[in-house]
Amino acid sequence: MMTALLILHGLIAVALLGAVTHQALAVGIRRNEARTRSFIARFRATDASAYGTAVVVLYVAVMVLGALLYPRYRVLVRPLLQTLDLRSANGAFELKEHLSAVGLLLLPAYWACWKQPLAQEYAPGRLWLTWLVALTVWWNFMTGQVLVAIKGLFP
Amino acid sequence: MKVHGRLMVFSAAASVIYTLAYYFDWSLFQYYVAEGRFHFLRLPESAGPPILWYGWLATATLAGLAAAFVVPRRLLAWLPADLVWLIPFAAVLAAVMYELRWFL
Repeated sequence: MMTALLILHGLIAVALLGAVTHQALAVGIRRNEARTRSFIARFRATDASAYGTAVVVLYVAVMVLGALLYPRYRVLVRPLLQTLDLRSANGAFELKEHLSAVGLLLLPAYWACWKQPLAQEYAPGRLWLTWLVALTVWWNFMTGQVLVAIKGLFP
Repeated sequence: MKVHGRLMVFSAAASVIYTLAYYFDWSLFQYYVAEGRFHFLRLPESAGPPILWYGWLATATLAGLAAAFVVPRRLLAWLPADLVWLIPFAAVLAAVMYELRWFL
């Protein structure tokens, strides 16, 4: 059961990573840049406002599954990190904990900033909150991947 | 700050309270892994280490909700729009600074 939840947690995290990365790269785009034909320009040319609700739903889903898995981490993984004296790995997870919480708590503001019609006064909020969410998602994803594979990485 | 001002107040207040909650250990409740139960009061050390994170999140969420409902409508219009990202940004920065101890 827990293995299935962990896999589901990872799969939804991949979807979230894709959505928020797309949005973060598209949020600051200039109109003339979208017309160029490079891969990056096309990647950024997406409508950033279309991702707002999807990012919120995916983020909450990943958080709920992560919260369910957390006690198992504390029982199985954390003691191993302490035994192997992997302080950085332990710290990376502590930071993941805080970033995911702050990311969750800023979602109402993030969603409000992206609500249609887009308010001009919240343009900096849209840019910075999207990048903050992207930063937390990337950190949490990378940390999660390393910790899942920690026994293989540090035999 | 008109239409979604209260959502923004929630995020700003909850981010600040979450930071204070883990710094000063204001956990609304604890989850004891060995026992598999939540407790509002701390158990003796023999009960094993508790998970405080759920309690920090609950503290921040409740405080954020309280702030969002208490702040008067007139004040919402006065709050600068940049606060909406500046406060969560500061909360992320504070978390990074706080956890640097593991990497030094």
